[in-house]
Amino acid sequence: MNMNVIEASGLGKRYGGTWALSECTLAIPAGHVAALVGPNGAGKTTLLNLAVGLAEPTAGGVTVLGGLPPGSPAALDGIAFVAQDMPVYKNLSAADMLHLTRNLNRHFDQPYARARLAELGIPLNRKAGKLSGGQQAQLALTVALARRPRLLVLDEPVAMLDPVARHDFMATVLTAAADDGVSVVLSSHVLAELERVADYLILLSRGRVQVAGEVDDLLASHRLLTGPAAEADRYSERPVVHVRRGEAQAHLLVRAAADDPVPPGWEAHPVGLEELTLAYLREPGAAALPGPGRDRTLPFETGQPSEVTR
Amino acid sequence: MDIDKGTGEGQAGVSPAGAGGGDRSTAPSGQAAAASPIEFRLDAASGVPTYLQLVHQVEHALRLGYLKPGDQLPKVRDVVASLAINPNTVLKAYRDLEVKGLAAGRPGQGTFVQATLSQVALPELTALRRSLSGWLAAADGAGLDEDGMVALFTSALRDFYEHRSGARTRGGAAGGETEGVA
Amino acid sequence: MTALTTPARPKRDAGLPPVPWRRMAWVTWRQHRAALAGVAVFLGALAVYLWLTGLQIHHSYAIACHPASSLDCTINFTGRYGITAIVVSMVLQAVPALIGAFAGAPVLARELETGTFRYAWTQGIGRWRWTLGKLVPLAVTVAAAAGAFSALFSWYNQPFLAAGYVMPFSTRVFDLRGVAFVAWTLAAFAIGALAGMLIRRVVPAIAATLAVYAGLAFATTLYLREHYMTPLLTSKLSLPGSAWIVSQWYARGGKFAFPNHGPQIVNALSRYCPGTSNVPAAQCLSRHGYTQWTSYQPGSRFWPFQWIEGGWLLALSVLLIAATVWLVRRRAA
Repeated sequence: MNMNVIEASGLGKRYGGTWALSECTLAIPAGHVAALVGPNGAGKTTLLNLAVGLAEPTAGGVTVLGGLPPGSPAALDGIAFVAQDMPVYKNLSAADMLHLTRNLNRHFDQPYARARLAELGIPLNRKAGKLSGGQQAQLALTVALARRPRLLVLDEPVAMLDPVARHDFMATVLTAAADDGVSVVLSSHVLAELERVADYLILLSRGRVQVAGEVDDLLASHRLLTGPAAEADRYSERPVVHVRRGEAQAHLLVRAAADDPVPPGWEAHPVGLEELTLAYLREPGAAALPGPGRDRTLPFETGQPSEVTR
Repeated sequence: MDIDKGTGEGQAGVSPAGAGGGDRSTAPSGQAAAASPIEFRLDAASGVPTYLQLVHQVEHALRLGYLKPGDQLPKVRDVVASLAINPNTVLKAYRDLEVKGLAAGRPGQGTFVQATLSQVALPELTALRRSLSGWLAAADGAGLDEDGMVALFTSALRDFYEHRSGARTRGGAAGGETEGVA
Repeated sequence: MTALTTPARPKRDAGLPPVPWRRMAWVTWRQHRAALAGVAVFLGALAVYLWLTGLQIHHSYAIACHPASSLDCTINFTGRYGITAIVVSMVLQAVPALIGAFAGAPVLARELETGTFRYAWTQGIGRWRWTLGKLVPLAVTVAAAAGAFSALFSWYNQPFLAAGYVMPFSTRVFDLRGVAFVAWTLAAFAIGALAGMLIRRVVPAIAATLAVYAGLAFATTLYLREHYMTPLLTSKLSLPGSAWIVSQWYARGGKFAFPNHGPQIVNALSRYCPGTSNVPAAQCLSRHGYTQWTSYQPGSRFWPFQWIEGGWLLALSVLLIAATVWLVRRRAA
C-alpha cells in the first residue's frame, strides 16, 4: 500500500482575481484518515473539489489514487465524495437513492446499503427531504460507502450535525476504514475531535499548505517549553513556531524531538494536536512540511513570531 | 495509593461489560459470541493521547482482575465503531501492549491477553506505602499543598521513566504521562 | 505506521468499460417523471379541448360549407368558430415555449442550484454521459409529444383552411402545423437546457428561456421566414388567395416609384384615382403608366418552407445541446 491517494504539485486555483489555493504541494498516503484543517476560506473545499474532479486547476496539477487524473473514469470509480451539506435529492426516497447510485456506478454493494439503512432505522420509502439532518447525512454516506471506493472524501461532514449524529457519522466512516481499508480525507474546521480521528494532518491557511504530515510524527517533533520570559527571546537552540508570554513566564512551541536537551530552568511538555494546530494557524509564516530540510531553521527569525500577552 | 486519582493516568473506566453491549457496532448481532470482557471508554477532555488511554485501561483491568490471560481484547473494528476513533490508534495501543508483553495478536482471530502485570508482594506494598506516607509528611511540612505534591511526584516519575526507557517506544515518552502544570 | 488492511480487489486500469446507457435511462425517468407528467397533462388537457371543439367544427363545416364560399358557410361556420380559431391559435403559440422552459431549464439548473451536481458528477458514469443521457431522451420524448399534438392541431385546423378562412402561411398557424411545431418545441427545450447550465438557477433560467424563445420566434416570423426562398415576382394584378404577399410596389417606366403603403401612394391615388379601393386602384394606376409589382411566396411552397424552418431549428437544437454538454465537460463549480 505505497500509493498516494492525493498528490498535488504546485497546485493552484484562481477564482476571478483571488487565488483560493496556491503552490499547494502535498502527498497524502493511502491507508490513513487524513484531516484537512484550516479556517474558513483557507481553500479546503477548493482543494477537495480539485481532487474529485469538480474543478480544474489554474496552475500545477493533482493526481489521485496513485497517478490517475481526477474526473477520469478510474478516478470516479475509486473515489466517493460527500460534499458539504450532504446533497441528497430531497424528493427521492432512500430506496430511490440506492437505486440511483447503483445505476450511476459500475460497482454497488446493494445488500450492504440496505442492511446499513435498516440498522440505522432509516425508512426506505420516505422522501429524503423529510429525514432528519443526521439521517440525510447517514444516507449520503451509505450510498458513498456502498460504492466500495478506495478513497472517501468528505467536505466538512459534521458541521451541521448534532453531537450524537456527529458521533454516529464518524463511527461509520472509521469503521469503513477499519473493515475495508478505505482511505479517508476529510476537511474540518473543528479542531477538538481531530486527535481522536485523524492520523494524517494537512493544515491549510490562506490557500497555502502550512503543515502536512503524519500526526504521530508531528507530535513527536514538537515540544512546548515553559520557562522564564526573560530568556524566551534568547532561545535559539531549536526553531520556534509560536510564543506565548506573560510577565514572568513564557511558553515556546518549538520543533524539537523528545530527547532533545532542555535548557536549564526550562520545562518541556509534549504538545497536543489541537494546541499544535492553533499555534501554526496563528503563525502564517511557519510551516512544517515533510521532506529534506524539515529540521532546518525556518525562514523566519526566532523571537519575532507574534506574541500573545496573557 | 489509589491510582484512580492520578492526574496523568487515563481514567480507570473499564467495566465488565456484557457481550458487545451498548456499542453501536455495525456488525450483525450474531457476533456476540466473540465479545471481550472489557469495554473501552474515552475521556476526550483529559489531554491524554487516545492510544495511551486504551493502554492504561487494559493495564488497569488486568490489575483489577477484569482481564485474565487468554481473554480477548475488543476487536479493533468494534472499538472504532463504538468510540469513533481512528483504527490505527487502536492498533497502536495493542502494539504497545504487545511490546510490553501484555498481549499478543493471533492472525485472523484478534488480540489476546498474554500475561498479567507483575504483581508486587503484599509486604513490599506495605513497606512502599509506609515510606510514601513519610515522604508525604515531609512534603507537607515543607509547605507543599496537594497539587504541589502531585506536580513534584509526576515530574520525578517522568524523569525516572525517561532515563530508564530512553527511546524504547518511539513517541512513547513524548506522548507519555502529561503533567498537571499551571 | 501499520497500514490498514486492504481486501483483494480487481485491478482497475484506465481502460474501464463505460457505464451502459440504459442505466442512465432509469435515472432520467425517475428524476424527471414529474416534469414529463406535467407536460403530458398540459398537452393532454389542450388535446381534449381541441378534440371536442374540433368535432363540432368538422360537423358544422360538413353541413354549412358546400360550397365553401357560400353565405351559409360564412354565417354558420366562419362566423361561429372563426374567433375561437384565432384565439386558440394564438394561445397555442406559447406551448413550445412553456414546454421547453419547464421541461428543459430545470434539468441542469436544479442540480446546480441545490448542489446535487456535487453528487451526480462524481459518480462513476461521468458528467458528460450523465448530461447527454438526460437531455437526449427528454428532448426526443418532448418532441414526440409535440408531434402528436401538432397532428391533432392540423386536423382541428383543416376546415378553416378549406374554407379559406386562414392561409397556410399565416403566422398564426404556420408554426403550429407540419414539422415546425416539433422543431420549435425542440429548440425551446435546447434553449432551456443551455440557459439552465449558464444561469444555474431554476426560476431565472425559465424566465430567460421564455424571453429568448419569444425573441427568436418574433424574429423568425417577422423577418426571417419570408426569406427562406427567393420570392417570386409578378406584375399580375390578381393572385391566388393562398399566396403570401411579401411586398408590393409600383414602378413607372421600369423604375421604382413608390411602395404599396405610405404617403406616396395616397398622394398618387388622390391625384389619379380619387375615391377608389385597392384593387381598382391598381388597375386605375396602371392606366396612368404605373405597373404594380408583387413579390410573393406561392402557397405551394408551404412544405419546403416547413422543412427549411424545421431543418435550421433542428440544427440549432443540436448545436445548443452540444454546447450544453461541452460546457458541462469543461466547467464545474
